[in-house]
Amino acid sequence: MTPATRAAPTQAPALRTHQLGKRYGRTWGLRDCTLAVPAGAVVGLVGPNGAGKSTLLQLVIGLLDPTEGHVQVFGQTSRAHRAVTLGRVSYVAQDHPLYRDFSVADMFHLGRAMNPAWDQRLADQRMASLGIPLKRKVKALSGGQQAQVALAMALAKRAPLLVLDEPVASLDPVARLEFMGGLMAAVADRELTAIISSHVVTELERVCDWVIVLSGGAVRAAGPVDDLIAAHRLLTGPRTAPHDGVPGVIHRADSHRHSTLVVRIGPGDPAMHPAWQAQPVGFEQLVLAYLQGHSAPLPGQDPHVERPVVPVPGTVAR
Amino acid sequence: MTWVTWRQHRGQAAVSLAVLAGLAVTLLLVSAPMRQAFSQDGIARCLAADPQAGSCQNTIGTFLSTWGFTYNQALVALLIIPGLIGVIIGAPLLGRELEQGTWRMAWSQTVPRTRWLITKLALVTAGLVALGVGMTLVFTWYRTPMDQLTGHFTYAAFDFEGLSLTASLLCAFAFAVLAGLIARRTIAAMVAAFIPWLAIRGLADFVLRQRYQPPLTEHLPASTHVLFGPNTTSMTGHLGDWVLSATQTPAYVSVTYQPASRFWDFQLIEAGMYLTLATAALATAVWLLRRRAA
Repeated sequence: MTPATRAAPTQAPALRTHQLGKRYGRTWGLRDCTLAVPAGAVVGLVGPNGAGKSTLLQLVIGLLDPTEGHVQVFGQTSRAHRAVTLGRVSYVAQDHPLYRDFSVADMFHLGRAMNPAWDQRLADQRMASLGIPLKRKVKALSGGQQAQVALAMALAKRAPLLVLDEPVASLDPVARLEFMGGLMAAVADRELTAIISSHVVTELERVCDWVIVLSGGAVRAAGPVDDLIAAHRLLTGPRTAPHDGVPGVIHRADSHRHSTLVVRIGPGDPAMHPAWQAQPVGFEQLVLAYLQGHSAPLPGQDPHVERPVVPVPGTVAR
Repeated sequence: MTWVTWRQHRGQAAVSLAVLAGLAVTLLLVSAPMRQAFSQDGIARCLAADPQAGSCQNTIGTFLSTWGFTYNQALVALLIIPGLIGVIIGAPLLGRELEQGTWRMAWSQTVPRTRWLITKLALVTAGLVALGVGMTLVFTWYRTPMDQLTGHFTYAAFDFEGLSLTASLLCAFAFAVLAGLIARRTIAAMVAAFIPWLAIRGLADFVLRQRYQPPLTEHLPASTHVLFGPNTTSMTGHLGDWVLSATQTPAYVSVTYQPASRFWDFQLIEAGMYLTLATAALATAVWLLRRRAA
């Protein structure tokens, strides 16, 4: 894993949200979302379908206005439909939509016409290196090539924050690898901050150094991946063992004889109950624990009052 | 944005030009023998002298029976043409973007979506005005001989000449743009826009038009032959007057009519109605697009 922050610590966070909420009619698509993502982070946004991922992304890129709270991108508040907001963020939408009867060159012409900071050379070079002819119509391209065209458009827009909504969900495994490889190289080259949403946790584990776990419209955990892993343990013990005395239980899974707990260990962690054996926790296991833990409220924790939101960077004990 | 709009609509522009050219050629071919007959029969001379004279009545009657229905009243079948063109071009403008998901790409570029929509609407509307005016000129030229005999108040004339055609075309377009935004589907939006457009067109043609201004009433001699509608030999004695009703009494015939001279007033009123509806629909679309939860 790369360090969570590559940029100077004085720089404003790439993304800061404060008690952000979006209501659709009577239901909240996202509520009480407070985050600070440092510049240079590659963020995995994880959650089941309907968790609020797209809502959060659309609030960030300026396609939606929040019902409450606010979003800041590099210190400036995002407002929907404003050119300044739209220009700061590049967006690759789910299924990377393009005009099917346009050629690749036409799509780039559109990008140039609609974005003042457009980098034509960057777009053309990416196509040349991938062997995608500029004259070819979008509908004649494979899904992987279409995704690459969409990514090239997002990069050529030259915005400091790159947002990708389920970028590889519709791609075959080889195209997935190629796409993520190209994405990572571009992010590293240009020192971009990237937010990648996915419901496939393993897809993100390889590329992300930051993670936001979202479910039911609320943030369940957020922080640098390394810090989160360091701050949690996987406990195993006999099924009969009580976990009342164990602090910070995120999720409990019971098998025939054994139980496993994912727990958060605080600073100055007390000794565990002797019945439990502690192990380091894996990325996927941790994310799943937060996603599943949400469905069964933990004792003493009213999910509407106190959510197990994991602290912002710097406050996590190692 | 001009280029983007052109790139997205150039296919429609080419098809529209082809339709206009096809229409012009067809009407030119049909019109040639009609114009020849018009001059050979000496109808212009007849009209200049006394159209009510017996011999002239026969000449004009023959001309109308030969060319009137087939080549002019048949135009009534084309009354829905402006509506069809309008919805075919209007419905995909937002409907297809929403249907195919390309709005997420289009609206996340630096140009805000409101400006994107307003630019597209302005340019496409300009194109439609050009198309409407072109069609109007072609139809008006085609109908010149007939208009001299029947005036402009027949459905086949009023709806194709002046401002009505272009204005009703824009109205259908605007309805379809709004329907596309609400229905989020192209075909559904075409249907949803065409039905109200057709209802308004029917209402305008068959109910409202005769009431745009209060009709005139005149008392004619009891011997006057009662004849309704806009006709060559209108019972009022003025070519092109639109007779709405006539009441026979022993002493006289009371006739209610719209005089032919009101043609342009009525065109302005009808175009104003269509354009008001079009503006309202487009303004609603822009407003909805702004506040719609993406």
